[in-house]
Amino acid sequence: MLNLVPHLVNGLTLGLLFALIALGFTLIVGVMEVINLAHGSLFALGAYFALSTIGGDWFAGTGFGVWWQGLPLWTRYVLALAIGPILAGAAGMVLEFCLRPAYGKAPLYGLLLTFGAALVIEELIRLGWGTGEQHLEVPQAINGAFFMGGLIFSKYKFFAAGFAILAILAVWLLLERTPYGAVIKAGAHDSEMVRALGYDLATLRLLVFGLGAALAGLAGVVMVPIWGLRPHVGIDVVIPAFLIIAIGGVGSFWGAVLASLLVGLAVGVTGAYAPAWATMSMYILLILILGLRARGLLGRKSALES
Amino acid sequence: MARSTLTRRGLLGTTAAAGGLSVVNGPWRHNRVWAQATDKPIRIGLTSDASGQYANSGASDRRGMIMAIDEANARGGVLGRKVEHIHLDTETTPATGSRVAERMITREECGFLVGAVSSGVANAISQVAQKYGVIYMNTNSSSPSESGENCHRVKFVWDGNGTNFAKAAVKNSIDRFGKNWLLLTNDYVWGHETAASTRALLAEYGGEVADEILVPQGTRDFSAALLSIQQANPDVVAAAVGGDDQKALRQQVAQLGMGSKPAWINNQQDWPDVYGLPLDNLFGVFGTTWYYKLDLPGVAEFVQRYQAAYPDTSMRVPGNVFYNGYMATRELLAAIERAGTTNNIAVIKELEGLQMSAESRMQTYDAMIDPVTHQVQQTIYLATANSAPVDENDMFEILTESPPDAVRDTSADAACKLESYEDTPSFDA
Repeated sequence: MLNLVPHLVNGLTLGLLFALIALGFTLIVGVMEVINLAHGSLFALGAYFALSTIGGDWFAGTGFGVWWQGLPLWTRYVLALAIGPILAGAAGMVLEFCLRPAYGKAPLYGLLLTFGAALVIEELIRLGWGTGEQHLEVPQAINGAFFMGGLIFSKYKFFAAGFAILAILAVWLLLERTPYGAVIKAGAHDSEMVRALGYDLATLRLLVFGLGAALAGLAGVVMVPIWGLRPHVGIDVVIPAFLIIAIGGVGSFWGAVLASLLVGLAVGVTGAYAPAWATMSMYILLILILGLRARGLLGRKSALES
Repeated sequence: MARSTLTRRGLLGTTAAAGGLSVVNGPWRHNRVWAQATDKPIRIGLTSDASGQYANSGASDRRGMIMAIDEANARGGVLGRKVEHIHLDTETTPATGSRVAERMITREECGFLVGAVSSGVANAISQVAQKYGVIYMNTNSSSPSESGENCHRVKFVWDGNGTNFAKAAVKNSIDRFGKNWLLLTNDYVWGHETAASTRALLAEYGGEVADEILVPQGTRDFSAALLSIQQANPDVVAAAVGGDDQKALRQQVAQLGMGSKPAWINNQQDWPDVYGLPLDNLFGVFGTTWYYKLDLPGVAEFVQRYQAAYPDTSMRVPGNVFYNGYMATRELLAAIERAGTTNNIAVIKELEGLQMSAESRMQTYDAMIDPVTHQVQQTIYLATANSAPVDENDMFEILTESPPDAVRDTSADAACKLESYEDTPSFDA
């Protein structure tokens, strides 16, 4: 038992990071019923935009660039946390424009289009930033390690987990405590009625997709100091995100959060006692939960089940 | 309906004549002969990863092969024929490797295959290559089984393997850091075999394995493993973790400040996996076959040629992966030229036992292709992070250099059973 506690703590922090990754994915699936296979590429894109923001690549060789690079790392990092997601969100909006002809058609069209977009974004990253490994610098105050119970833990991982909690709360507040959230949820429930009430459904979809992409970008900025940054880093994101929304129940916000924590705990604890099964534990959890409850933990009951 | 003019006697006679000709002319399993016209280019299939765990290393590998091909063409080609290359992505996946090899041989008319980083992929490619008798250069995969139980007559292995690197590192590290070791192992063929070599050497030199943590391929979060390492408190962690997994591991170990205690022995460090990272990510001791700042004849000129060939590549200096890709391709083309033919058996005989001077390979000691295992026996260097780099590329400090005989994988001799020449289909490119 003595050895288990740090692994449980580790699993919970990992779960929060998974929740951050899945947040934008679940929003787009829940509201628009589009499985966005470009989620991972938008994750990577956000991180690369943050990299350029911190490094000052945008204005390299200019006097402003020199001034920018002289700014404290904290300032540049905070700006990167905003600029990376905003630009990833803008890229998501462009993708949403491309998706419009696929609305109302078989889901395969959207799936193929977002898959193609993922490949295009990854290649654009290679062209823009090169193929090699990059390093996203973080301020010293949140870097390094601290001791707890005689063991070393990463400061940054706890910072990232805390950031994930804030992001989860912010999205929840947006959805549950603002009129915009009410419209978004109504759009997910009955888009025709929302249109009949005078809301511009096209704009609503554009904004939701942009928000989902921005959340993917935000997750990228926060996660790459742990995972490392390379053009195909987004591949590592899509499968956990997909598993999490399936386990939590498609369209369920808290289902996704709960599923993330369960996946994190499963991976963390399996990693301690049967490390070879750590990755497999996610899939076993999926099979177990969907085997017992096909709609996921907090998913809506389908018409076929009633 | 026209009546057949073929009689029973005629049929028997024709069959006997054909049988007799095949005996006289042999080889009996001649797979395919392309027209030997001198204007027909020699096609080389580049079987390197462009996606998956070894995508970045695959790109470096490919650049090495292409530079060797371009240099050969600039000299007028090989046997007076232009050398062409075609690349298909092997996706760091053995099944794709098989499919790519099959396609390159049967549809793309490739006479030779070159390239690999993943041992699983290399093994898959070499099985297809052996089936057709196509010579295959395994440039960069370093599982001991590649020149052991998975060796083939058509396959030549150019990288040092896990045993070579472990031999260079284990004894020194037991003496220096302690005998209580923990193995951190990527859960696939290269990781397992490298760990097995390390175990055997630890047993031989008096070390102990406290535990082994298996890391699935594709692992991005190593915190559970790093917590377990802290709880086990070993003297040394011997890591056999490769590609993107290793990059994530390095980043997380650096964040925790665990790079100096326990001591880390990273079996081999591929240059593309660390190039551009901060130096604190480059902890521990690791093996390599080549470094761009070796103080040896030809190295500086080789670096200049690389920079001229690839002026836009973000990796500004060549590393070990590029070097192996280049050397394997250069020596293959030279062997074809010496053989005076593209016939596979003739070229294989040129390569087997080939002695390569230290100068020609820009290494400290002479190298040779072992005729028993088809592995290049070469200098193995141990390195660590350079605490006084002269520029941002100067990341390694070379600690030791071991001659080939000192790090020879002797177990491979017994494990490798090359197919006979007769059992290897004849093939002309």
